[in-house]
Amino acid sequence: MAPTPSPAARRLVVIPARDEAPTVEGLVRGAARSACCEVLVVSDASSDGTAAAARRGGARVIELPLQLGAWGATQAGLRYALRHGFDTVVTLDADGQHDPACLPQLVATQARTGADVAIGTYPERLSRAKRLAWRWFRALTGLAIEDLTSGLRVYGPRAVRLLARSEATLLDYQDVGVLLMLRRHGLRVAEVPATMYPRGAGHSRVFASWLVVARYMAQTTVLCLARVGHPRLPPVDAAPEATP
Amino acid sequence: MTPYLTSALLGILIAGGILLLVRRDHLHGNFAVWWLAFASAALLLGLVPGSVDWLGRTFGVAYPPMLVAALGLSALLLKLLVLDIDVTRRERRVRRLLQKVAILEAEMRDLRAELDALKDSRPARTPSSPVTPLPASRADEARRAAV
Repeated sequence: MAPTPSPAARRLVVIPARDEAPTVEGLVRGAARSACCEVLVVSDASSDGTAAAARRGGARVIELPLQLGAWGATQAGLRYALRHGFDTVVTLDADGQHDPACLPQLVATQARTGADVAIGTYPERLSRAKRLAWRWFRALTGLAIEDLTSGLRVYGPRAVRLLARSEATLLDYQDVGVLLMLRRHGLRVAEVPATMYPRGAGHSRVFASWLVVARYMAQTTVLCLARVGHPRLPPVDAAPEATP
Repeated sequence: MTPYLTSALLGILIAGGILLLVRRDHLHGNFAVWWLAFASAALLLGLVPGSVDWLGRTFGVAYPPMLVAALGLSALLLKLLVLDIDVTRRERRVRRLLQKVAILEAEMRDLRAELDALKDSRPARTPSSPVTPLPASRADEARRAAV
């Protein structure tokens, strides 16, 4: 039997990116250096050469032909990881608000605590409106997580398997729906304080305009209400299933 | 013209239209069944004049035509809901497919690059056979497995 590859060889950094050509190359280099593993950029139907910039940085690239949103792109990365034998996936946002330097700590925490998902949070970055919104969702769902939307995460093998499934495909955001799904299947989530910068070139996809906010709040509230009293399911096992 | 005749005519028109659409391949079988049932109901109400009054009496509705209108509206609402459920199912499939297409495209790109590298490292072939024949690509596979 072949020797088991090292954890770093089975780890993949996934960066969902839409029109982030100016920053993505540097980010890819930083992430590869910091996490000591391969980097995959999922270009979410970008039109500004994001894919080429990411390749210049040394990343593997997949290009979605139509826009699927941040979660759809992340899930494409999870499915890629499964097909290519990676079992741990690290995600970070491409807009420059996550410092790749904090990846080793996040990865180490996930490995040490045995949590299925480690989330890098920085609660101070939240505006008052966001804090209020998160409190509302926490009250509805009973989730005990400070920063619901943070895209800085480490997904362990069980989480990668679970979230690559088609049940997670219709989620529009990586936040409440994903966290509820993890809880429903008995997966553990740990939070790690991390440093974040103000956004670089990009802007928040969720908190872009009042209309978008209203839609997001209504959608997510419905999602929360529909999940009240959802029965728990047996946890996914880490054994390989059929190729997704 | 009596309301029954109108209803019957409507039923015949709808049914005829549906059959024509199926015949011309514009309407999928499953959807056709729903609309044909709808048309049959309209036809039945028109051909059996007493049926509306009987329905009204049975369900205790003072003005029977309202019952027909309410039932028709409910049927349409139900149909819309079924349609949205179907759209949701399709959306899920489309998203899965898009992800898969993107992944396969990336893999194909890698494979092509690998193949080009192999071709470059191999001694030049005769110009008469630009396309690599099958036995050679099997040899490529064997070589890759040996590395």
